[in-house]
Amino acid sequence: MISIDGSLGEGGGQILRTSLAFSAALGIPFTISNIRKGREKPGLMRQHLTAVQAAKRICDAQVSGDAVGSTHLTFEPGALHGGEFHFPIGTAGSTTMVMQAILPALMVAPQPTRVTIEGGTHQTHAPSFDFFARALVPLMNRMGPRVEARLERHGFYPAGGGRIVVDVMPATSLLPLNLLSRGGRGKPTLSILLAKLPMNIAERERERVLAKLTIDAPPQCMHFIDSSHSPGNVVLIDVPCEHVTEVFTGIGEVGRPAESVVDHVVNEVRQYIASEAALARHLADQVMVPMAIAAMLTKQSGGSFTTLPLSLHAKTNLQTIAAMTGLTCEASGDRIVTVRI
Amino acid sequence: MAHSQPHSRPARPLVALGMLGTQLDLGSTNKRWEKWRPTVGLCQQPDMLVSRLELLTGSKWTDLRKQVSADIAQVSPETKVVPHTMDIRDPWDFEEAYAALLAFAAKYPFDPDREDYVVHITTGTHVIQICLFLLVESRRIPARLVQTSPPHRSSDPAGTAKIIDLDLTKYASLASRFAREHRDAINTLKSGIRTRNKAFNRTIQDIEHVAANAIDPMLLLGPTGAGKSQLAKRIYELKHARHLAMGPFIEVNCATLRGDSAMSTLFGHRKGAYTGAASDRAGLLKAADKGVLFLDEVGELGLDEQAMLLRALEEKRFLPLGSDEETQSDFQLIAGTNRDLYIDARAGRFREDLLARINLWTFRLPALRDRREDIAPNIEYELDQYAARTGKSVRFTTEASEQYLAFAQTPQATWAGNFRDLSASVTRLATLAEGGRITPTIVDHEITRLNAAWHASQLDSSLATPQASFADSADAAILTRAMGTRAQSIDRFDAVQLAEVLRVCTRARTLSEAGRELFAISRTTKASVNDADRLRKYLARFGLTWDTLPRD
Repeated sequence: MISIDGSLGEGGGQILRTSLAFSAALGIPFTISNIRKGREKPGLMRQHLTAVQAAKRICDAQVSGDAVGSTHLTFEPGALHGGEFHFPIGTAGSTTMVMQAILPALMVAPQPTRVTIEGGTHQTHAPSFDFFARALVPLMNRMGPRVEARLERHGFYPAGGGRIVVDVMPATSLLPLNLLSRGGRGKPTLSILLAKLPMNIAERERERVLAKLTIDAPPQCMHFIDSSHSPGNVVLIDVPCEHVTEVFTGIGEVGRPAESVVDHVVNEVRQYIASEAALARHLADQVMVPMAIAAMLTKQSGGSFTTLPLSLHAKTNLQTIAAMTGLTCEASGDRIVTVRI
Repeated sequence: MAHSQPHSRPARPLVALGMLGTQLDLGSTNKRWEKWRPTVGLCQQPDMLVSRLELLTGSKWTDLRKQVSADIAQVSPETKVVPHTMDIRDPWDFEEAYAALLAFAAKYPFDPDREDYVVHITTGTHVIQICLFLLVESRRIPARLVQTSPPHRSSDPAGTAKIIDLDLTKYASLASRFAREHRDAINTLKSGIRTRNKAFNRTIQDIEHVAANAIDPMLLLGPTGAGKSQLAKRIYELKHARHLAMGPFIEVNCATLRGDSAMSTLFGHRKGAYTGAASDRAGLLKAADKGVLFLDEVGELGLDEQAMLLRALEEKRFLPLGSDEETQSDFQLIAGTNRDLYIDARAGRFREDLLARINLWTFRLPALRDRREDIAPNIEYELDQYAARTGKSVRFTTEASEQYLAFAQTPQATWAGNFRDLSASVTRLATLAEGGRITPTIVDHEITRLNAAWHASQLDSSLATPQASFADSADAAILTRAMGTRAQSIDRFDAVQLAEVLRVCTRARTLSEAGRELFAISRTTKASVNDADRLRKYLARFGLTWDTLPRD
């Protein structure tokens, strides 16, 4: 049984999700202690539990310590299997974070899978559905399996009520992913989501983006959503490149000016464009685990990529990968970091 | 299928119980998601998973309940909402609200071994909140409280939730505060004296616990001067500080109560109840209403007074002398005695039912001679008291202190009057001190004085109680020493006198010296003195001669 120290590095829920993904995919039992040690509210939060429960379902794991506030969890996976899954998670956590814990395993499961998750689709501190579908999923498909994600309803905080459906046609093994270069860059495109809020918010945002970036942003890029349960506002900027598409997300919140939402996303886009790295931070975080699984299954390199200077989050992720798999991940470089797994 | 074989006992699911907030939970348009709604927010906390919500709702609020339930289902699919209809006509009416909630609590199948309950006290009228609090505090609902609050800095409409456990020992800072209060209380009971006697200290701890938590009668046993009265006063101070006794402290020594006046002193009288009852009198029991009544030497109380006291204790009412209207008084009783009330009860001198009533919390205060390790701190205390009283600070010289302490702790220092003796002794020493110093000479004199006092008190006690068997007495021993077995043939009438005569002879150097001491009074009025002759003749009556008497 592998022991993971949950207080490692950044010490948050990422360690748990990464460990769950490996455990389910490779059948590695693990125990994690000091979960979220030193945080204001230590131990498992509800959003972490939803990830644990989803992972438990896809591999019939035996789990102990899966309670709110628990700082110690033991997860012993059984047989990984695909199938139909439905996870209603409310607003405790995001649909995409649950996918983070289970998608890598479903990509190598013996059966195809359809997973429906109900909850938030666009919320702070979580990958947006658009990022998941347009940036991550194409890269996953490049590794062999066929993943399709569709959004049936948007779910914004605090009402949630969104629904995503992800179909996974698994592969027996995974191909390495090599993304040392992004290739030629296309013109960025803007899309703005606005639900149950005054239209001028979207207009102000569009104008501000246009003032700051050379971007494709026709009036049709503003999408007015009626089906969601609560108000929501999202600013999305896609940067299409030859080998990869990056998606940057800004989430509007009550009390946060539209301009601030825009400026934050624009800064991320500028930083990425100015760099030569293939992947920006969030996407780099997401591809590490599938690459490591590929390496474990093929006993060869899982691939390599270039990215921006590693965040503590990414470093912690690499440490967790090393702890769960015994793989040595190489990270070299200064302004542009090359990661080899 | 998932098999669940938990490795450890799974955490109990959290069950919340709360009122639908007809103001705070309101909202039907999309705007409601931007607004803090306590009941929805309760189910939306990242660190608290409500498995089931028992939602109390008035029947006219069904639409709102449905809306809130649907919203909870969306944000927290793990939460099952169970509606309960509770119609309270006036939710600001305490009696009605409490009765309704109490009925709900009585019917609800609480299973605290399997479920962890919290009561949500943010919604409902203040009266409802108070009722819920009372039900939790009295454990009629075996739950903790949960208080939800609107968002502070963040814009998150879920707000925050805090669980409040009414078990105060679970809060570290409160626990240390209680420990400090506890120490202070014990210090009060000990009058600030750092006593070292283990038995005594344990007794004080028990007394503190009872005094701070119970209003039942307390019984203090112990010899005269062991500090019963002082302790009773301290107990009262403690109760008063903790708001357990709002009224005054009334103290009376039952040995001082006799006859009609005893009844009247305790229970009061109506004007003209007996000769000399010139006006109404309330009596001490009435005076002690809501306070503490200390009845010292309770064993000295007459049987009639005992009967009346019992009724006053049991029913908090009694009949003043000559009155046909009962008086009420809600007092807490502390009784003191140095007698064995069981023996008194068996002999019919003390009512058994009264004894049973006051014998609930019984504490025995040891005599000072059984607390020798506490003599030193008590001397310090008495000196401080003297200084406080007179404004003069007095200390022992080192030598004097050692000398006094050494004497105080010897077995021959009986401390017959216990702390009363010690207090008087230290007061004398302090008063006689020269320039604020108690010297060895002063201590010397004090030791002589104490010895004499205790000797006299021994005599007093031998006068007070006839010896059961003369054969075992000191007098008998003296006679046997002088006369052998012949001593047994002497009448007790003569034996006592002869024993004292022999005592004097034993100390005296000559027959004449002994005679002078024995006839010291009558010889002053006689023209001619023949003490030696009178003594020789007296001894001869018992076949004794001066020369054959045993000497020291």
